[in-house]
Amino acid sequence: MIRAQGLTKTYDGKNAVNGIDFTVEPGRVTGFLGPNGAGKSTTMRMILGLDAPTKGSVTVNGHRYASSPAPLREVGALLEAHAVHPGRSARNHLRWLAASNGIPTTRVGEVLELVGLDSVAAQRAGRFSLGMGQRLGIAAALIGDPPVVMLDEPVNGLDPEGVRWVRSLARQLADDGKTVFVSSHLMSEMALMADHLIVIGRGTILADSPLQDFMAEHASAYVRVKAPRSTDVEALLVGRGLDVTRVDDELRVQGLDAPAIGELIGGHGLFLHELTLVRSSLEDAFMELTADSVEYHARTEVAA
Amino acid sequence: MTALAAPPTNASLGRTVRSEWVKLSSIRSTWWTALAMVVLGAGFTTIISGIAAGDIASGKSHDSPGEYITQGLIFSQISAVVIGALVVTSEYGTGMIRATLAATPVRSRVLAAKAIVVSGFLFVVGVVTAFLGYFGGNAFFRSERVGISLGDEHMLRSMFGAGLYMAGLGLLAGAIGLLVRHTAAAISIVLALVFIIGQVVQLIPGTVGEWVMKLMPGNAGPGIVVPVSFGDNMLSPWTGFAVFVGEIALLGLAGLALFQKRDA
Ligand SMILES: Nc1ncnc2c1ncn2[C@@H]1O[C@H](COP(=O)(O)OP(=O)(O)OP(=O)(O)O)[C@@H](O)[C@H]1O
Ligand SMILES: [Mg+2]
Repeated sequence: MIRAQGLTKTYDGKNAVNGIDFTVEPGRVTGFLGPNGAGKSTTMRMILGLDAPTKGSVTVNGHRYASSPAPLREVGALLEAHAVHPGRSARNHLRWLAASNGIPTTRVGEVLELVGLDSVAAQRAGRFSLGMGQRLGIAAALIGDPPVVMLDEPVNGLDPEGVRWVRSLARQLADDGKTVFVSSHLMSEMALMADHLIVIGRGTILADSPLQDFMAEHASAYVRVKAPRSTDVEALLVGRGLDVTRVDDELRVQGLDAPAIGELIGGHGLFLHELTLVRSSLEDAFMELTADSVEYHARTEVAA
Repeated sequence: MTALAAPPTNASLGRTVRSEWVKLSSIRSTWWTALAMVVLGAGFTTIISGIAAGDIASGKSHDSPGEYITQGLIFSQISAVVIGALVVTSEYGTGMIRATLAATPVRSRVLAAKAIVVSGFLFVVGVVTAFLGYFGGNAFFRSERVGISLGDEHMLRSMFGAGLYMAGLGLLAGAIGLLVRHTAAAISIVLALVFIIGQVVQLIPGTVGEWVMKLMPGNAGPGIVVPVSFGDNMLSPWTGFAVFVGEIALLGLAGLALFQKRDA
């Protein structure tokens, strides 16, 4: 369990993390979602005691991370920057980690096998591809078989098979009753991986709810209606108090489900060419939610 | 998967030391640099002694063999500085410092372990270098019948002093590394301090310049390495070394203070 209270980090007078409160519960995958620069990595560094909070506090399993005599046995973390010396082999990287926390060396071989790096364990980490480096980072996070696992953008650089592997690993860890905290800036990824979502934007929590609730609340739906006599159809639907938006030759209707809309139109002797329930994607929901809090906007329009 | 035994309930410096030793010894450059230290140090001592032996034996030179028998170690200093600096700065260059501090959050313990490992390693390599240099160089002196014995005055102090001085230099470089957190900067600063600034300060006129020079780390420290001092403008060996240790301690404490305070 991870608990943050009023957690704040200020860099050069600017709040990277702005008084956030949240709890990450065991037994489920909690997604930590936010656009670039939202404060995800900063929050994770504060959890590990690497960066000191400007204000507030964060505890892991009820105490400060730094007060643990063998922290790798309590929290395993994959950090954003590859914290690996390029001249050291994967095995030796895991060996020094194991030694530092009194973890038996036999565990090194186990985690290497678990992440599929056993055949390249003797190779220098500097030669590793992005994906192999990511796997080594995950091996390092799991070396102490910790009850809390924290992964900062774990699927970065992974191929589809690797992405699926991380997803099932997170699931398995949560099913084993562990606390799993995974950051990402991709809603689509979180939709597949997380049970619970904490959305952060510009250092502030924007949403903290089960994934299902988040989807129900934010992923809006409408019924697309296409009909030859669309003005008559529109008048009919509006007359019934429904919310209708016209986009080109289609009508977007909210307030009634698709079968009822179809019956209503058919009952008035009008023809239908299309009747479809359209769910806006979670990605859209996320974009909408964080629109005001995106730190770095790409310029898509050319100035007039 | 085997279940791990119960986690240790108390943190221990021993585990951190073991971990730091795995780090240091699992990097190839550590061993290449150590080899350079031995080869350069012992090699140059042998060559310089070979050149001097004839003149000393014939009376053309009034120097003593003891002035030459550790001379090559001047070059070994570079390796000690490189190893000492890298132990700290390579962690910043690679971002590994975060993994280190996540594994061992007590920062003073991380520094203590690094200091123990790097100074122990450099002590051993320094002593080996000094002895090999002695055997190589003394072979020439002996063949000219001016050989010296390890039992001669100050000889053993000099052999083991070489290890102490190399260990100290490594710690000095590590301390500077903590302050600047950059490999090239740390190495350049320490090498400049030892090889250039230590000499340039002679230009300061009067006794001030004399004292500043005596107190510079690269001048105060190596007094314990040479069995027969070749200049009289030096502190006595152990006084000099005490000054050197004091300087390391000051820089080390400054580095520790910053290390404790800064975000990783
Ligand atoms: N060491 C630092 N010094 C100064 N500013 C920092 C530092 N670390 C982070 N920041 C700033 O804090 C904000 C949050 O950064 P952070 O890396 O936590 O975001 P993030 O959510 O992890 O983003 P990303 O998805 O790009 O990884 C950014 O504006 C960043 O520029
Ligand atoms: Mg980040």
